[in-house]
Amino acid sequence: MSQGHKVTGKSMERLLEVKNLKVDFQLEKQLIHAVMGVDLSVNKNETVVLAGESGSGKTITALALTRILPPNASIVSGEIIFKGNNILDFNPKQMSGVRGKNIAYVFQEPTSYLNPVYTIGDQIAEVIILHQKLQRREAQARARELLEQVKINDLDRVLTSYPHQLSGGMNQRVFIAMSLACQPDLLIADEPTTSLDVTIEAQILKLLLELKEKLGFSLLFITHNLAIARKISHRVYVMYQGKVVEEALTSEIFDHPKHFHTQELIAAYQKIGKI
Amino acid sequence: MLMLIRGSAINEMRKNPYLIVGIIIIGILSLAAILAPLVSPYDPSLIDSQGLLMPPSPKHWLGTDSLGRDLFSRLVYGSRISLSIGIIAMGIATFLGLLLGAWAGFYGKFSDTLIMRFADIMLCFPTFFLILAVVAILEPSIYNIMIIIGLTSWMGPARLIRGEILSLKEREFIQAERALGATDARIIIRHLIPNAIGPVLVNATLGIAGAILLESGLSFLGLGVQPPIPSWGNILIESKSTLGIAWWITLFPGLAILVTILGFNFIAEGLKKVIG
Amino acid sequence: MILQAKDISKEFKVEKGMFKAEAERTLALDKVSFILEEFTTLGLVGESGSGKTTLAKIILGLVEQSSGEIIFNPEFIQNFRKDVQIIFQNPYNSLDPKMRIKDALYEPLVIHKMCSRASLKARAEELLKTVGLDESALERYPSQFSGGQRQRICIARSIACEPKLLVLDEPISSLDLTIQAKLLDLFLELKSKFNLTYIFISHNLGVIKYLADKVMVMRNGRVVEEASSSEIFANPRQEYTRELLQAAK
Repeated sequence: MSQGHKVTGKSMERLLEVKNLKVDFQLEKQLIHAVMGVDLSVNKNETVVLAGESGSGKTITALALTRILPPNASIVSGEIIFKGNNILDFNPKQMSGVRGKNIAYVFQEPTSYLNPVYTIGDQIAEVIILHQKLQRREAQARARELLEQVKINDLDRVLTSYPHQLSGGMNQRVFIAMSLACQPDLLIADEPTTSLDVTIEAQILKLLLELKEKLGFSLLFITHNLAIARKISHRVYVMYQGKVVEEALTSEIFDHPKHFHTQELIAAYQKIGKI
Repeated sequence: MLMLIRGSAINEMRKNPYLIVGIIIIGILSLAAILAPLVSPYDPSLIDSQGLLMPPSPKHWLGTDSLGRDLFSRLVYGSRISLSIGIIAMGIATFLGLLLGAWAGFYGKFSDTLIMRFADIMLCFPTFFLILAVVAILEPSIYNIMIIIGLTSWMGPARLIRGEILSLKEREFIQAERALGATDARIIIRHLIPNAIGPVLVNATLGIAGAILLESGLSFLGLGVQPPIPSWGNILIESKSTLGIAWWITLFPGLAILVTILGFNFIAEGLKKVIG
Repeated sequence: MILQAKDISKEFKVEKGMFKAEAERTLALDKVSFILEEFTTLGLVGESGSGKTTLAKIILGLVEQSSGEIIFNPEFIQNFRKDVQIIFQNPYNSLDPKMRIKDALYEPLVIHKMCSRASLKARAEELLKTVGLDESALERYPSQFSGGQRQRICIARSIACEPKLLVLDEPISSLDLTIQAKLLDLFLELKSKFNLTYIFISHNLGVIKYLADKVMVMRNGRVVEEASSSEIFANPRQEYTRELLQAAK
């Protein structure tokens, strides 16, 4: 599954370009510089991993990309250029057009991101109706199709179940299905498999790559687990204390890590991240 | 109690106007109660035969009652009664409640069912009438009042602490303590209760206010604190007959009760914010 | 051997219905047996629902088994609550939030009368040093420490009892990889320094490979495979074990 090969420059179309992003947030009386001038890019059909430990700023960076930051955080400066437009200049209406439709997310604890009082079928249908303005019946049929796409077998049961009745792995598939409902160009996955069992993790990773091939979206995968980076990505960004400290092709990162923190991460990976 | 509120909470208190105002009010009241002899200009039983039912004046700041006793002094001494009854009654209730609630929550099953059903039964009784009945049988006295209010108010704290302990029991740090060899008593006293006590403190503060109100009501009906010992409630007995002619006898004791209840409510509100 | 588990089973009943007439039964553990040799590390591998945490709690006497027995060798385990300790997975929940670190460390020392009142502080400082923390930690509260540091404090607390057997239930799973690596080395150090025996529970095979002498694979309450560490990784016999290894590669 290793994809450390070079993607040729000329056919690369730049989907997302982040320039000098700075995000601060207010914690009681302190101003914390969570993201301090981050540059990163994602090309069409690429899988990019944003690696870092807790506190590195990777999640805030990911949330900043569609400006869904918590109320005490704010983007101080920088540019987020998506398909040629700086989305930091977008008004709220334009932003909600981008979210879900062009850029979608998958998060760590799928069960808590799903609404506990609606069935799975209703939730997916709602997303579809919101973005695609289909009728209820059509939306429900589409919901069914989407669940098939994420390789869920027990369709009727899952469609009529509530999130707490399903396993973590199942809910993650549902969430992926919801995120892909509107065929986004970019899927941002923030530690989507960290709380799942290792066999389920392997299945979900495989599913994401297959869907990526089939539907043609780019994947920005955030994780602290370099083993995943090795398995799925073309390029890796390493974040440390709010900054990108190294960027390279996956194979380069593993063979010749340059920054000390990258070396630390690789050393830990060598020790216990693989067998 | 300060041990239970962490050091950094002192800082939080500054951002907590309710708590501050409440503490100031009750603080002043408590000081007045403790230093009653120093604060009151007259002895509360001193009769001024020249000045019966006098309105507020420089000589008698809040006026005098129908026996010529200085109202201000009586109110100050009355605060001793109200505060002590309130605090001790609530103390008894909270102590009993903690004991029974902690036992029910920790040991569960049969003890829990037994204690909680007992609490339910007691809650079915209209407390005020229960107290009236008891007071009618025994003689009304300050001690009886304290004890009876205490014995009929333990259910609230018990339920609260039981609920908190039920949820805390399964937390990992409690299991860790058990693994370390801590006895049940140690776990309950050193770990469960300090972590569970927040809501109980809030409830106790409100309970003091409630107890004061209860005592005032009983005294007003003549079944509480007996004259000549001044209690805000029994000072108000006179107000029935003097309402039209001596407004100060109704207003000031009423105001005293109001401000005190308000003070405790503010503290409770402030505590809610502190325990988060 | 230090302990032997014989046919440990655990059934959980969830009462249903208004009069608690029906009950849903879950078999968390189904006749689990194994022998733990002294001074070794037994790696317990399994996914969620495998019963590994329930087994750990039964060994610690925190949960009672439905049937079966755990036999401790009195040569090693004389005072159960002192000689057998556990480290839990969630460092954020394992310390009493209202107690200062020093009080948390004093507790086992006092309960087991490990030292005199006067030497409590010195002993606590020594323990902190052993786990790589500074003595300034004593006056602080758990909320002032990171996950990795809290876990070190829990380790210090358990070591205070001078245990013979330490059960570690996914002690590092929720921490960053570099912190995990550091704590693993601490575990190794403590094991040799204090002649400990470990039962190390983890779903991370890389960690198990690093630490364990013997590996027991569990699934749905049963032991699927049990072998030496090298055997399991080189020659997994059972389908499920192979699946786990494949997923981790």
